[in-house]
Formats: sequence, structure tokens, C-alpha cells
Amino acid sequence: MRGRVTPGGFRLGAKSRSFGLGALSVVVLLAAWHLVTAGGYISAIFLPSPQQVVGQARRYLADGSLVWHVLTSGRRVLAGFVLAAAVAVPLGIVLGTSRTAKALFDPILSIIRPLPSLSWIPLTILWFGIDEGQKYAIVFMGTFASALLYVMESTRRVDPLLIKAAQNLGATRLDVLREVILPGSLPGIISGLKVCLALAWTCVLSAEMVAATHGLGALIWFAKDWNNMALVMVGMVSISITVLVIDSAFRVIEDRILPWERHQRRRDT
Amino acid sequence: MAASIIVADRVTKVFEEGRRDQVVALKDLSLEVTEGEFLCLVGGSGCGKTTFLNLVAGFLPPTEGVIYLRGRAIAGIEPRAGMIFQSYALLPWKTVAGNVEFGPKMKRLPRAERRAIAERFIRMVGLTGFEHFYPGQLSGGMQQRVTLARLLAADREVFLMDEPFAALDAMTRQVMQEELIRIHEQSGKTTVFVTHNIDEALILADRIVVMSSRPGRVKASIRNDLPRPRQVDVQLSPRYLELKTQIWGHVEEEVRRQIEATSGSARAQ
Repeated sequence: MRGRVTPGGFRLGAKSRSFGLGALSVVVLLAAWHLVTAGGYISAIFLPSPQQVVGQARRYLADGSLVWHVLTSGRRVLAGFVLAAAVAVPLGIVLGTSRTAKALFDPILSIIRPLPSLSWIPLTILWFGIDEGQKYAIVFMGTFASALLYVMESTRRVDPLLIKAAQNLGATRLDVLREVILPGSLPGIISGLKVCLALAWTCVLSAEMVAATHGLGALIWFAKDWNNMALVMVGMVSISITVLVIDSAFRVIEDRILPWERHQRRRDT
Repeated sequence: MAASIIVADRVTKVFEEGRRDQVVALKDLSLEVTEGEFLCLVGGSGCGKTTFLNLVAGFLPPTEGVIYLRGRAIAGIEPRAGMIFQSYALLPWKTVAGNVEFGPKMKRLPRAERRAIAERFIRMVGLTGFEHFYPGQLSGGMQQRVTLARLLAADREVFLMDEPFAALDAMTRQVMQEELIRIHEQSGKTTVFVTHNIDEALILADRIVVMSSRPGRVKASIRNDLPRPRQVDVQLSPRYLELKTQIWGHVEEEVRRQIEATSGSARAQ
């Protein structure tokens, strides 16, 4: 997939160079962490050593519970996020292209948008109890308004000249929507959804800290109660790794459905 | 003498800017274009050349007056007129072939037929082998060739070109001009070509219309009797210089008037 139009090998070199630099900075960070904890500069009460964190991770990996927590949180994120996207994308396109619809929805949207997902916890617990439905609802409420705004914005940002050109070539309103507005707003929609996915993680984690027995948020919160900072950090690192994995999966999808952007991305990097 | 295909009858176009300001882009413009003619509209910036093209394409309605295309008044996006824009306006998510096929696709032609048409015109503009490239991977000159092929494939009765070569470097522009002459000779399509470059107009046009600056009107209509086929060396002939001097005389007067008008209004503010 990559390298099909790779002009010369130097690009590959530049890529492996930046990968090397990235790896180096991670190694330096880990080394510094090791030095300050092993040398006793920072007490283990405030910052557990890398060895302690790895030890905890091993224990929770061995009995499978860490994977279980990751999967639980991941499922909640995904369900809530997919639900929000499924409503926000079509609605956003309608709102982005129709002035009447926009005038109708704008006030509601500006009321919902500033509410942080945490503020929805009491109401959603009242409505859904503390089971899975409530977690999905939190993610939905926490990401929906932003997703909708991103979609509306990207729809509205489609170059009007392209619409004009398409009309000049005989496109009807529906053609314009399908051939110009949809593909034209797709890159913006996808990058907006990426932001919303990260948002969904913060929603789930905070929801899990308040009311849950499983999931990474619950794990971190229990670990805090047990005063096990190493386990807290295991939970934090798990979040980072999970989000990284999901992000790269997203990038693969992006390359697939935005083939025209691939060469541009390559040129930019 | 051939029949008129485009007839503009005392066309006025006023743009409302803000609540009080009005810009009269065109005032009582009357103009006839004959079948198969290559007409260049020349004038300084703000003389309403582009506005006139937008009116013929039906992107804008005239404030007063009518433009007829083969005797039928233009109202709304005009399916018989095809436009080329200075900034290409190619759909970035479609390949060269996809862009060229767009017009036939909007006509709901079967896929095989679309392919054949696209292939033919891609060959005509010399882009065979680049069918599967995205516009972002091509140079400006190549992108403008794609718009030419797209216009030809859409099979319009009238070609409107809004400074299509203005963004190209001098050498590419010269090559493109020669290709356009060749294509015009082959297709025989009536072409209205807007430019502020007198040399370009003299190479391309059968007739050159100089427009007055704001409000836009026909200031002079000059038949370009330079022999065809025209090559670059036509620029060395005495007749070329004679015509150029004559046209420049008209244009210069307008440009001076325009500069005085704007500096006058600047002083007034």
C-alpha cells in the first residue's frame, strides 16, 4: 500500500529516522524514571519504580484481569462512540447543508455542548442504573454534541467552487451531496471523530471511577483506594497503549477510505 | 456570416454589498458571439469579465437584461455551457479518469461508454498513463489539462474559460495555449475566454472584446485577423504589433481610469 509511489528511498530513511528519535525519547524517559526511583531521589510513595509497575502488570496480565478491564472499557467506548457517530454523521450533514434545520437545532446544540460528560452522571444513573446502558449513555452524551459540530463544520467547509463545478457538469442536488459534499467533508469528519474517540475514553474512565466494578477507570480507582500507585500506573499505561492501538487502526481505515489524501499526507510528513 | 449563438441584451449586474453599498459590475452590456467563434474578453481587474461568464453559465441571475443561448434565455445553471475555472476545481477525491467521466456520469451514461469517452479526451489532452492519478499528484499544467478533458467529455455547446492559464508558468502557459488552439480547431466549439493578457488574447482569439472598467461595458471589439495556424513567431509580425498597440490603447485608458477612481475613493474615505 505504501511505497507504491515512493519517490526515492530517502523518504523511507526519513521515516525510520523519526521512528528512531521517537524510540530514543521513550528510552530516555524510562531511564530517567528508573534513575530517580532507584537512586531514592523520589520516594516510592510518590512515584513507584518501573520494576514495581512491571511487576503489577505481570500479575494482572497473568490472571487475565488486566485484559478483561481493557476489553470492558473498550467495549463501552466503542458502543457509546459508534452510537453517537451513527446519529451525529447523518444529522450533521443535514444540518450542514440545510439552513432551516440548522436554525432549528442550533439553540439545542449550544445548550448541550458545554455540559461536561461528568455532569450527566447523576441523571444517567437515575435513568439507566449503574449497568452498561449508563456507560453507553455517558459516552453518547459526552461525545455526541462535539461529533455533530465537527460533522457540520466539515460539511460547510466544502469548497463552494467544487459545488459550482459539479453543477456546471450537470450534477443535481442529490448528485452534489453524494459526489461532492460527502467525500469533501469526509476527511474533516474522520479527524473530528478521532478527537471524539479520545473524548469517549475520558467519558468512560470518569464514569467507571464513579460507578463500576470493571473497566480501567474502576481499576485505577480501586488501586487508589488500596494505595497501590504501581497498579494505578498500570491502568494509566494500559489506557495509553489501548488508545495508541485504536489510533493506528483508525489510520489504516483512513488510508483505505481517503486514498486521495494518502499522497498528501505522505508529502506533509 | 455565421449566426449568433450567445446574445447578451443590455445586461446589468449589480452586487449588493452590505446594506448601502452597491457595486455595478456590468452596465447595459450588449454582446453577440457567433457560432464557432473564439472570443477573448480582455480588461483590467474589476471590469466584470468573470461576472459575465458566471451569468452565461447561469451561476448568477442578471439584475436587468437577458442573455440568450441559441435564442433561449438563460435561467438557472445552464446545461449547455461548460466552464473552466482558473483554480481548476477538480474533485480531489476522484482520479483523472473519474474527473473526466464526471459529466458523462451525470448524464447517466453506461459505465463502458463513460470509460470510452474519458479515454478519448484524456488522450486528446496528452494525459494517457495518468488516468489513475489524483489531481493532487499532478502539476498545475497537468491539472488544467484534466479540466480541458473534463469539459470536452461533458460535451457542451459553449465553452467558458475564466483565465484558465493565469496560474501557470510562462512556458507551460504557451504549451497549453497551443493545445487549446488545436482543440478548438478540432472541436469547433464556441469559446468565450477571459484573460487580462493581451498576448494570450492575440494568440488565441478570432475576436477580442475590450471591456471598460466598473461598470463593465463593451469598449471595443477588434477582429483578430492574424493568419492561422498561429505559432509563437506570429508575435514578430508587424500586424501583431499593430493590433497589440491598438488593444493596449483601449485597455490602458480603462486601467488609468480605474486607478484614478480607486485612489479618488480612497481619498474620499
